[in-house]
Amino acid sequence: MSRRQPLPLTVIGGFLGAGKTTLLNHWLRHAGGQRLAVLVNDFGALNIDAALISANAGDTIALTNGCVCCQIGDDLSLALIKVLDSGVAFDGVVIEASGVSDPWRIAELGRADPGLRLDAVIVLVDASVAQAQSVDPLLADTLVRQLKAADLVVVNKCDLVTTEERQALRRWVDAVAGPVPQIEATQAVVPLALLSALALQCAGDAQTHAGCDHDHSAHTDHGAMFDTWSCQAQQVFDASALRAWLRSPPPGLLRLKGVLRTAQADGQILWSELQFAGRHGSLRALAADAAPPSSGAVVAIGLRGQLPVAALDATLRRAPAQRHSPS
Amino acid sequence: MPNTMTTTIYAARKIITMNAMQPTATHVAVRDGRVLGVGTLQQLAGWGEHQLDLRFADKVLMPGLIEGHCHLKEGSMWDMPYLGWFDRRDPQGKLWPGLRSMDAVVARLVEIDAQLEAAGRPASEPLIAWGFDPIYFGGERMTVDHLDRACQRRPIVIAHANGHLMNINTAMLRLAEITRDNEVEGVVKFASGEPTGELQEPAAMFLVIRKIGSAGLLAPMDEAGVRSFARLACMQGVTTATDLANKLTEADCAVLETALADDAVSIRLLPAFQAFHGTHGAALGAEHVKQLLARNTDRLRYGLVKLMLDGSIQGFSARLRWPGHFNGAPNGIWVMAPAQYEADFETYHRAGLLIHTHTNGDEASEAAINAINRVLTRAPRPDHRHTLQHGQMIDAPLFARMASLGLCANLFANHLWYWGDQHYEMTMGPDRANRLDACGSALAAGVALAIHSDAPVTPLGPLFTAWCAVNRVTPKGRVLGEAERISVPQALHAITLGAAWTLKLDHEIGSIECGKRADFCVLEDDPLEVDPAALKDLRVWGTVLSGRVFPAQTAAA
Repeated sequence: MSRRQPLPLTVIGGFLGAGKTTLLNHWLRHAGGQRLAVLVNDFGALNIDAALISANAGDTIALTNGCVCCQIGDDLSLALIKVLDSGVAFDGVVIEASGVSDPWRIAELGRADPGLRLDAVIVLVDASVAQAQSVDPLLADTLVRQLKAADLVVVNKCDLVTTEERQALRRWVDAVAGPVPQIEATQAVVPLALLSALALQCAGDAQTHAGCDHDHSAHTDHGAMFDTWSCQAQQVFDASALRAWLRSPPPGLLRLKGVLRTAQADGQILWSELQFAGRHGSLRALAADAAPPSSGAVVAIGLRGQLPVAALDATLRRAPAQRHSPS
Repeated sequence: MPNTMTTTIYAARKIITMNAMQPTATHVAVRDGRVLGVGTLQQLAGWGEHQLDLRFADKVLMPGLIEGHCHLKEGSMWDMPYLGWFDRRDPQGKLWPGLRSMDAVVARLVEIDAQLEAAGRPASEPLIAWGFDPIYFGGERMTVDHLDRACQRRPIVIAHANGHLMNINTAMLRLAEITRDNEVEGVVKFASGEPTGELQEPAAMFLVIRKIGSAGLLAPMDEAGVRSFARLACMQGVTTATDLANKLTEADCAVLETALADDAVSIRLLPAFQAFHGTHGAALGAEHVKQLLARNTDRLRYGLVKLMLDGSIQGFSARLRWPGHFNGAPNGIWVMAPAQYEADFETYHRAGLLIHTHTNGDEASEAAINAINRVLTRAPRPDHRHTLQHGQMIDAPLFARMASLGLCANLFANHLWYWGDQHYEMTMGPDRANRLDACGSALAAGVALAIHSDAPVTPLGPLFTAWCAVNRVTPKGRVLGEAERISVPQALHAITLGAAWTLKLDHEIGSIECGKRADFCVLEDDPLEVDPAALKDLRVWGTVLSGRVFPAQTAAA
């Protein structure tokens, strides 16, 4: 039985036309060295440049950048098992939920299977029709269910609506989805650091170490949108105190990821992985046979000017603060 | 092939033709697998040289029964042991008595484990069983305590009848690495925090599926499964059935075509193309089904399309209109978005294909009717025969609209018995449970009506389904909506000509009259003479399919 670290699972939800496929296309093009397994409903809409395709075997398309796309067909379980048992060392799994499905039901796979770790549920909303959908008696409850599952709401197609409409929609999404981040986008262009903890790690590495070999071009374009915070974390944290903090983290935090040492209730000191996205945080001990990291580190991200730096400093850092605003 | 130009005249105690112009007769002449004539021996003798066959002289003939909504899986489920609460007959004709207590379930598992052991099957090979339904056990839940009593070493997986739950033993918990630390709600725990072995919904069940793979529950249909299905159909007097959702890949088609090329396989099948996954495939799907039409034979008919709008009522995943669920559960789910349904429906409709749509809740039925109304306004097509399947909560105003649009209804009458009490008490409450599967309202509105089992969800058996529609009784003794009862002749019509109409085969099957296929259901008893409450107990001798005689296989006593 392999004891690899669990694979992060991202679920992309949202109605047909909200931009799920556009977002996936964008992500696949800028995967920046991540080997992603992407499960989609239908290849029909996935407009991958022929130049990016290295092999096409019916239900599976292999890309030259190491990512693989699989068609779900009628059984998500079987498609996912195929990916997990393929023997390929993926860095993450991304599942496109079908338009009317509840992404949380898929996200639960990430919590159920020890081989997976739920990274985030990302729900796209089409700004140009969301108001109409929100009062459509056939669809309103489905839309609400999706938003309530979201760790990040991407309000897409913002170029098609007025500023007033955007503001009204923002208030409605806030009321329905609760305190999770909303990103306004056109063409589903969203900084990758917001989509995945993998890219976030990379963003943090770029500031704390010079030698990061990943491609940062994808999100430096959007540097104006968010702030990053990071620190070395050498001290030992109390596990139960950290879990309590994760249950109601300071407002403004979009994502957080780190590895640090924690003291368990029984006094044992373990290396643990710290994760937070949207509405879900977790603190999990690293597998006992995993190589221990050389040092602890935490990276966090928030919308520009909204990152709760003081609160992060107070909880996670005792050294002088460093704040970065990539430009 | 039957011998060309050989005429056989069957004498019967009574022939119920379902032809309103000649309701009964004593003799039927068959040539080339078709009905040459119906009447007296003297009338039929005018066709010339013939053989008089007296084997049915003391039997009652009806048109071969037609199951308009079932699945071939009914045949292959029997590769696994059955643990249901109701008696059920397997493809070999053996009757498996229903298991009415946890102890009975455990005892049966002990028996199966011993058989596997005796057959030299390794203890690591999981025992996978189906059909278990704890709703009849008065609230007692199955746990590892029961299953570990049955077997400690061999992993056990028990799939519940509703498809949403599983129970596993400690050996399977270990194999699937399910511990107290698993956070998912679907992993049910004891107060101590240890898992009980009950797994709810896909995420939790995924952990087991991942280990047992496509064994059992997800196994693809094979030829043996089709043969088992045909044997079960013969025992129930069924000569034509649908497989109402089939991906129709080349492999699927090869299984169907190989099995049905054998004249010993006693069924005519209509597989419906599963068109409800993916968002861009409708045009390709329609083209695929049209291409397959060229491969049709007498006993294999491509051309149906299946779409699906919502989930199931007892699983609380159907889409209900106001006032929603009786117990306050939130509304169910769309399997297809209504707008996507309309677009795909239009594509298949314009391709000239016959579309059967799964709609359980009344909101889903209404959404389908609205969509089809718009499509038919844009693209009228005479005599389309599009059909709503299940339609369990359709009321009189919706039936009136269906009639005006030419939509047919195939109602899930078996629910009246199998889940009628649950619908009355939990899902929809008395008012709507009393018009569950409202056959009376459908006929009053002039909607073409068929009724079905959805086998293997409930057992295949149109006479049982007819009994449900005629009596509307539940296991607790309720009568659900006496006014929605239909008469025995109406019910017999629904399982013959009515179903044939929804498959656009009423010119070929569904009644015994000149020119139609020689398809008969051979009965020991007369459905028009027995007490309507005994309709389900009619004895079936076997079938005749396109002139070939198939005695039902009965288990050695």
